[in-house]
Amino acid sequence: MYETRYIRPATLADAVAFLGEHADARPLSGGMTLIPTLKQRLAAPSHLVDLSHLSELRGIALKDGVLRVGAATTHAEIAASAEIAGAIPALAGLAALIADPQVRNRGTLGGSVANNDPAADYPAAVLALDATIITHARRIDADAFFVDTFETALAEDELIIAIEFRLPRRAGYMKYRHPASGYAVVGVFVAEHAGGVRVAVTGAGASVFRWHEAEAALHENGNASALDGLSMDPSRLPDDANASDRYRAHLVQTFTRRAVQALTPGVAGHNFA
Amino acid sequence: MEFNGTQTIAAPRHVVWRCLNDPAVLQECVPGCESFVAESDDEFKAVVVASVGPVKARFKGNLVLSERIELGGYRIVGQGEGGIAGFGKMTATVTLADTGDDALSTLLTYVAVAEVGGKLAQIGSRLVSSVANKLADGFFKRLNATVVASAK
Repeated sequence: MYETRYIRPATLADAVAFLGEHADARPLSGGMTLIPTLKQRLAAPSHLVDLSHLSELRGIALKDGVLRVGAATTHAEIAASAEIAGAIPALAGLAALIADPQVRNRGTLGGSVANNDPAADYPAAVLALDATIITHARRIDADAFFVDTFETALAEDELIIAIEFRLPRRAGYMKYRHPASGYAVVGVFVAEHAGGVRVAVTGAGASVFRWHEAEAALHENGNASALDGLSMDPSRLPDDANASDRYRAHLVQTFTRRAVQALTPGVAGHNFA
Repeated sequence: MEFNGTQTIAAPRHVVWRCLNDPAVLQECVPGCESFVAESDDEFKAVVVASVGPVKARFKGNLVLSERIELGGYRIVGQGEGGIAGFGKMTATVTLADTGDDALSTLLTYVAVAEVGGKLAQIGSRLVSSVANKLADGFFKRLNATVVASAK
């Protein structure tokens, strides 16, 4: 690891100001991607600005049919939250499937979403649940947020403070875990909203994407039989040594079907849609 | 690992071809290019800061043009050595064709092959194809924008 300085700002405003003044400083949340990268000497930031203690980035709140989760909430906290398990069980279930206990206890929702790894789990939930990404400067719709591999709509020094999830009628997440890393070889999040169904696929492409054909089919008929005869075009997917494009397409079809079969409503009282 | 893509450029073929052979345009299209020096008509030395996700590493390398077919295309090879990070090499075969009847726009097609070695390959193997694809796509998108701007 190259030499760097650790900074723990007391407030969000301090963190934003510091990052604005230091071009080579990097925000640090759980560090589950950044720290291994630094240990390999693949990056050399001048400062690490620790966001994990900022009160503005913490908290889980359910109000008016919207679940707001602070960016510094860890995967383990989301997996164990009774409030989230009641409102969107599929989201709590997704958090429990991420990597391993060490990563789940350090890694955060905001960190994962800002990093936008093409095989991360949360981007599928954020996109399918039509969530809103709240930064210190603005609100960004999920559809406009995920741009490309490791690329989002965030500006260089823009920090996510929370994510707001609109409660769906029902939601389900199914994932084929890579046996070594726990990353999604393919993960599919299906969410049924009052206005229609959204299907978001992670792991299979350069970045999370919506499978619009499956959404249209499920809008007509909410059962897995709606997917009969529907296939994902392999030419849209990467073809490399890890998985062929046809294998990826097959996994997308299979795990979309399983996610539909796993659709679960929130418990009564939480289900506003 | 091979991947390909196309760009439809709103400029006639001779303008696209001129830009493809213009060092200033090439420099403009290489993402994160810090310096770009012509060694000859066909070879350029470059220093590039590659910034992808958490990784930010400086690569020293070169860009070589070969197999030129006037107005038809060429082969472009970019390679870089990033010290401890490892190395990367991308070879792209670029082909130009007219689109439509009026020949006012050009279809650029590329077929690219990427290789990486060292630490980048070791820890990034699951990401190599999507990152290489993104870099090539970024290069030709910027080329498209630069050509259109210079044709105005």
